[in-house]
This record gives sequence, structure tokens and C-alpha cells, in this order.
Amino acid sequence: MGWEEMQVRGYSEFVRTAQSYHGRPIFALFCGDKDAEGRSWCPDCVTAEPVVRKELHNLPDESVFIYCLVGDRAYWKDPNNEFRRNLKLTGVPTLLKYGTPQKLVEEECFKSELVRMLFTED
Amino acid sequence: SVQAHKEEDNPQKTMEVNGLTPVPDSYDYDLIVIGGGSGGLAAAKEAAKYEKKVMVLDFVTPTPQGSSWGLGGTCVNVGCIPKKLMHQAALLGQALQDSRKFGWQFTEEVKHNWMTMTESVQNYIGSLNWSYRVALRDKKVTYENAYGEFVGPHTVKATNKKGVEKLYTAERFIIATGERPRYLGIPGDKEYCISSDDLFSLPYCPGRTLVVGASYVALECAGFLAGLGLDVTVMVRSILLRGFDQDMANRIGEYMKEHGVSFIREFVPIKVEQIEEGTPGVLKVTAKSTTGDQIIEGEYNTVLLAIGRDPCTRKVGLDKVGVNINERTGKIPVNDEEQTNVPYVYAVGDILQGKLELTPVAIQAGRLLVQRLYAGATTKCDYVNVPTTVFTPLEYGACGYSEETAVEKFGEENIEVYHSHFWPLEWTVPSRDNNKCYAKIICNIQDNERVIGFHVLGPNAGEVTQGFAAAIKCGLTKEQLDSTVGIHPVCAEV
Repeated sequence: MGWEEMQVRGYSEFVRTAQSYHGRPIFALFCGDKDAEGRSWCPDCVTAEPVVRKELHNLPDESVFIYCLVGDRAYWKDPNNEFRRNLKLTGVPTLLKYGTPQKLVEEECFKSELVRMLFTED
Repeated sequence: SVQAHKEEDNPQKTMEVNGLTPVPDSYDYDLIVIGGGSGGLAAAKEAAKYEKKVMVLDFVTPTPQGSSWGLGGTCVNVGCIPKKLMHQAALLGQALQDSRKFGWQFTEEVKHNWMTMTESVQNYIGSLNWSYRVALRDKKVTYENAYGEFVGPHTVKATNKKGVEKLYTAERFIIATGERPRYLGIPGDKEYCISSDDLFSLPYCPGRTLVVGASYVALECAGFLAGLGLDVTVMVRSILLRGFDQDMANRIGEYMKEHGVSFIREFVPIKVEQIEEGTPGVLKVTAKSTTGDQIIEGEYNTVLLAIGRDPCTRKVGLDKVGVNINERTGKIPVNDEEQTNVPYVYAVGDILQGKLELTPVAIQAGRLLVQRLYAGATTKCDYVNVPTTVFTPLEYGACGYSEETAVEKFGEENIEVYHSHFWPLEWTVPSRDNNKCYAKIICNIQDNERVIGFHVLGPNAGEVTQGFAAAIKCGLTKEQLDSTVGIHPVCAEV
């Protein structure tokens, strides 16, 4: 069946989407919002996204890749935002395998070796 | 004959194994580490720093109950880390009780949920397993989840969980395979009993538990299980905490007895039977006295064996490369540079003969070994005056000689013991024991009353002991200790 991508924005939409795919492996990339020109306020996210996208073909069959925009910079900087509080995210970009402790944060997302490892190993 | 599978970038011809593997001219790796625990990972990461081509082989053979775990070794998965977290869970239970005396009011009864605690602990361990995977990959250390064993000079076979075998060669090897819990060898032990390898991920509350053994593993586990509110009995063959200062060991035992742990002394189990299936079920244990013919029986939900750990050295092909092991214990004798009798094979960690079985020791030994091999360093691992802590309900920190060993080595007339009971300020208000916490130092009279042994029984013993270990390393004397002004009000000022 291969893998499929879902694009969401904000915490509630993320949780709803993840729950709807319960039972399948779910990978998520969290990035800062993009402006009208499609550029994120988060420079590390701009660097990480192409690296992650290049490795997507390694995703196991049946998995779901959720591309999630977290919000604007002010929202993200708030230490009590829902992503920080509930998902325990500490930075953007974060790439994680939902429901497991496996994640890559910030510069770790620039390394295709690590991204590939996250997508392919148990 | 078997053909070896080679890495694509190694132009070596395939080898034929006719019972005698020839030594290859060039190797796949500079270093292969067998065992991804505290010692193995520290050595591998250090070697990668010097741009060496390194491989780590780590594999966990499931327990008789089917438990297994990820990369990181005993400490991270089924040792120090989950132990300390569960010990903390038990301490928090005590703190909740104490808190009422300090004015906290809560009307609900306080209960403990085993699954909630275990899930949190396992989640944390999972994040550590992952962080080690990231660290190895990031440092370009090749990691395979496969069982490594020697098949000939400079050659190991790695078998993964699907049974796929690959051969790898290396210039040097470090064996860091660690240990696993010992079983009793009685009917019913493997079928019905659990060990520390199973306890920290047990998917149900163990209930009424019999802990067999008197090691620090046995007492620490019995301690936190009782602290979580479970009915715990410890069955001891002879003495508590063999190898530790016996006066301190007995104080620990007394404290545990007074705080809800039952002890059955001088008995050993001879049979374990299942009366009821379940999670947990009901087990019947039959035990025989070590001093007579008396037989006793008891029923428990869970039987936890903690009678010792055996090195994983018997099935790693050491005979194929000629590495000597102590046939009786399975431990590997090494020189003071962690080298075995085979010059290109080294060993670190719990499997070493005559060395301390502690994570920081394995890490230190692994790192220094690699620095000597690849960075021209000469520093050897210092195994003297290594501090330790036993996380029983009343914690015990120690560094240096026990009183018995000091007397044996220096003579009773040449040592002086200074000791003191103390009552932690935090225990006064909730009316906790005022005569249980205890500290002693053992001094060598002939050497300026140098402090050669430090022992403390009380809360946060580990935190207290760490600083004193550094002082002892610097040659602390009684006079220097006396002239150090205390911090008040803390236990350590004693």
C-alpha cells in the first residue's frame, strides 16, 4: 500500500488526524508556519524539510506521514503551548514516530542518516 | 565449507572455513565491540572519536519469561536506571505519608498503581535506547542487533533475531557481554520464577512477593516493592550483602524488617509449583533449612530470584580464539590494561575477574582502554576507592574498606573507627526513627589517620558519598575532616 501524507495545522487538527490513523505507524514532522511565499519563520525547519522529504521513500508500508505546522513564532515561544505541554516537544523542527520515544530534534533532522534510521528501524 | 559475506567496499577474496579460519590480511573494522552496555558503548563511542572504524554487536537473549529490551545494556534497561526510579517511587510513597505531619491535607487514601509507574519507567528507558542509537549512528559507529561470537582468529559471526548470519573481521575486539541472573536449578524455577530482568517491565503488579537472595539486587527490589505497599518476604541462605561491611549490612536488614519486610533466614527453596495461573497467579514454594531437615512451604503471587549473576562468556566462542576464562565463575582474567591472554582481545565491565561490577567502572575502563589503544594515552583504570551506593529503603553509601577488610589488612590495633548515629532533620517532625541513620569512618593510624573507609546509612546516601570519594582520593585524613566546617542542617555534616 505504500505510505501516505497528511498536512495539518495546529494541535487539535494534529491529534484528530493521528487518532484517525490509530493502528498504523505514524511519523510526524513539526515545523513553524509558512508565510505567503511558503517560507517558514523557523530557519532550521527550512533546512530540515527537504532532507526529510528525500527520505520519505524509506517509510514502511501502511505508514502515515503527518506534516504539521505548529503556529506562528509567538505561539511557539509560549512555554505553555499545547505541543510543548502535551507532546513534550522542545523545539522545531521535530521529527518523531508517534507513540514511541523515537524522535529527532532540530539539527538532528538535518542528517539524512538519522532520518533514515528513524523511518526504517524498530 | 562456508563462504563469508564481505562488505562491498572490502576487496578481500571470500574465505573458506575448513575448521580452521585463516587470519585475513586486512580487516573489516579496526574494532568490534561485543556487547552494547555501559562498557561497550563507552569504548565504541570513544574509538569513533579517533576516527576508527567501529562496530557494536548487541543482542538480548530473551529471559525464560520472554522479556527482552533495547540497546544500552543492563544498567539502562534492567538495572540501575529502573531500579532507582522504582526506589524513588517508593520514597515518594513515604514522603506522602510524612507530608501530613507537615500540614498537607488530602482526604483520599493514597494507593499505588504499578502499571502507571512501569509505563513511565519503560518510556524513559525507551528514550535512552533511542538516544544511544542516534549517538552511535551520528558518530558513524556501525550497530547491529545481532548475537556476536568468535568463530576464528580475528573473526566473529553475528546472528540476528531472524537467524541471518554474517561474518566480520577486526584488528581488535572488546568483549563487554555483561551478565545475566542466575537460576536456582530447582523444579519450577525457569517456568514460574522471575528475575530482575523481568521485574522492571512486568505487565502486572507482582502482588505478594518472595524475593530469594540477599544480594543488593534482592534487598533493593524487596525494599521498593514493600515501599509500594506489597507484601514482601526475603529468603536468605546465610548472610546479607556478602562482600559489604557486615555491620552496615545488618543495620540495613534490621531497618527493612522494622518497615514491613519479612525475612526467612537460613533457608533455600527446593521446589516451585504453580497453584493458580494468572497475572499474577499463585505459586507454592517449598524450602529446606540450611542447618537441619526442616521443610517449610509458602504461597506467593510472585517469586523473584536474585541469587547472583553469571557472565555471558560461555557461548561467545572464546575457545575459538583461545581466550582464557575462569572455568568455575565464567569471568575473564585480564591484566591491568584490560587485555586478555590473547593480545588483540580486550574485555571490560562486569565480566572481568576481580573487578567491581559497576557502570561507572565499566565506562571508565572502556574509555581509558580506547585512549590507550588509539590516542597514545597511558592512564590505566583506577579500581581503588570506588564509591558505591545500595538503594535499600535506608540507603547505604560506601567508599574504601569495610571494617572487616581493614582489620584483616592493617590489624585491629592500627585502625581507628569513628562513628555516629544521626537523626535527619526532615525525619523529626514526622516522627521517623531517631536512631537508625548512622555514619562511620575507618582510619589508618599508621598513615596520619588517613581515611580508608567511609560508610553512611541514611537518606541521599549516594549524593553524600560522592563528594567524600573525591576527598578520599586526595588522601583525606581525620584531621582534615575535623577541620572541615560542616553545612547545617544536613545529614552530611556528621
